[in-house]
Amino acid sequence: MSLAVGRAGAARLPLGLSVALLLIAIAGGALFSLVTGGRSDIGLAAIFKGDATSAAVIRDIRAPRSLAAALIGINLGLAGLALQAVTRNPLASPSILGINQGAAFGLALALIAPHAVPLPLDGMAMLGALAAGILTFAIAGGFAGRIDAMRLILGGVAVGAFSYALVRFAYTLEDELARSVVRWTVGDITDIRWPPVLRMAFWTVSGVIVAMLAAHRFNLMAMGQDVAKSLGADPRVTLLIGMLLAAGLTGAAVSVAGPIAFAGLIVPHMAKLLFGQDHRILVPTTALLGAALMLVADGMSKVVSPPVEVPVGVVVALIGAPWFLLQTLLAEDLE
Amino acid sequence: MRSSLFGLIAAMALAVTTVHAAEIEHELGVTDVPDNPERIVVLEFSFIDALASVGVAPVGIADDERRERVISAYTDVIGDEWVSVGTRRSPSLEVIASLQPDLIIADLSRHGEAYETLSQIAPTIVLDSLAGDYHDSVEQMSVVGAAIGKSEEMDARVAEHRALMEDYVAQIRPLSEGKSAQFGVTNANGLWLHSPASYNGSLLEMFGFSSTMRPDGDGGVYETNYVPTTLEQLSEVNPDILIFGEYADPSFVDGWAGETLYDALGAVQSDRVFNVTAHNWSRLRGMLAAELTAADLLEIMGQLE
Repeated sequence: MSLAVGRAGAARLPLGLSVALLLIAIAGGALFSLVTGGRSDIGLAAIFKGDATSAAVIRDIRAPRSLAAALIGINLGLAGLALQAVTRNPLASPSILGINQGAAFGLALALIAPHAVPLPLDGMAMLGALAAGILTFAIAGGFAGRIDAMRLILGGVAVGAFSYALVRFAYTLEDELARSVVRWTVGDITDIRWPPVLRMAFWTVSGVIVAMLAAHRFNLMAMGQDVAKSLGADPRVTLLIGMLLAAGLTGAAVSVAGPIAFAGLIVPHMAKLLFGQDHRILVPTTALLGAALMLVADGMSKVVSPPVEVPVGVVVALIGAPWFLLQTLLAEDLE
Repeated sequence: MRSSLFGLIAAMALAVTTVHAAEIEHELGVTDVPDNPERIVVLEFSFIDALASVGVAPVGIADDERRERVISAYTDVIGDEWVSVGTRRSPSLEVIASLQPDLIIADLSRHGEAYETLSQIAPTIVLDSLAGDYHDSVEQMSVVGAAIGKSEEMDARVAEHRALMEDYVAQIRPLSEGKSAQFGVTNANGLWLHSPASYNGSLLEMFGFSSTMRPDGDGGVYETNYVPTTLEQLSEVNPDILIFGEYADPSFVDGWAGETLYDALGAVQSDRVFNVTAHNWSRLRGMLAAELTAADLLEIMGQLE
């Protein structure tokens, strides 16, 4: 089964033009995200005014938040790309394979019983993501060498539902704990500051490097597991790399913003539509596209119903779901 | 014929002894409550406030499974024999049923959906505690008083409370004139301001404070009582006096110390940021709770001069 994305390059834009459009989208998204916020008096003009308050708001509050949005977009986009490559399944994404929910499970566990867990919040998120990923892959038969497409999706749905059950349970706990869990799991980056963003940046940069190095393996994988093996790339190693990459990137994103659905699914699809199937090009462009999408979503989250901010995860779902549905309906060779 | 007549007489006799009931009007309808209910279950703290103010002890309390949340001012009156029926957010219907209550007092926003189920367990009245303001909470006292058959005692306590609050108002109003004040609670993950429509918002208004919390700059009001607020949004609200209730130490707001935008807040600049007991201000509502809040406010205003 494959969705009709990037078919034969018929209507594809030239690479240079696509990249230029992408960079414009990122610049626009970043500007949009930077000039909106709780202080309605600090807008576009304030950037050039340069008084102390405006500078502090932009430097200390909005810039780390915008960067966080961009990094989350990169993380989830690349996680989705890696998962789609190693499973050879276009539906693979952190949320569909239960990895997002696994990370949220880890977070909820750390919030409910902080003394009973071995790692801090972000560590628990990554551990949860990894455990969910391994479980889903095991259910799909990934470690026996053959991933069954249907079992992969069903396994992911089951693992995701199981993980999210604990998160839902936390909603019924007393008010303060429930508020904390809701805030962590709804997809929210309000009031984030530099230190957690810089921690996430470390994971993002590492992830991009690993993904670049693995891009060729991903291409071989696309030709089929047997071909990949005969060309010297053990599919099981590629699978392991892809899964570790996806779990690390997703866990890092979830520990900062909570599980954001759809970004990991639609960003790789958009990138394939624009740039074709070569992962050596897809890795950087998926990263850029993810950043652009999240920056725009972050800006929108602040202007939809001021002064109350809509969690950015909700905005992404509102953009992502219709786009994905449109893709599905327009797909010609949906088997 | 004779036996059925006898049955009818027996049934009527039974009816005379047990049916005598008060009809109590509440948020979700009218409920027949037996006279002088003795096994009462309450699902919000403000209903403990109501019962304690006329010396009645509930058999079950949704105390969040933390008995210390029922403060000593209440336990001095109601003792500590109650059974915990779980959290206020999701109380255990099984435990409530096992207590065989003859009256349940529930909250509209938390338990409105479960009204039918609760009513099958025992006569249930539903009041708007969580989403209501201070004035609502005092009016609810009379409803509870009627439901437990102690209207006279309750009216007397309410009158005493109103007189006491008027006294506080007379002391605080001259000091609060022309000043804006804002209350918010903060845990480890965020800050939630209590809007002018909330219980604490209405109390601050009664004491003469204005509010700078305006959703669109002019006239509008927040639809929710508890508004998640970022530092940037707080700096737009920028009240003269900030009152925080902290549920965590260090709290989310503590983490803002030293940030340019926080230090630029009017209340921070003029040293008018105060900490109060979050539990008493935010979770508790009612007469005794309002008196505690008023005493805190008077103390805060004393520190201003």
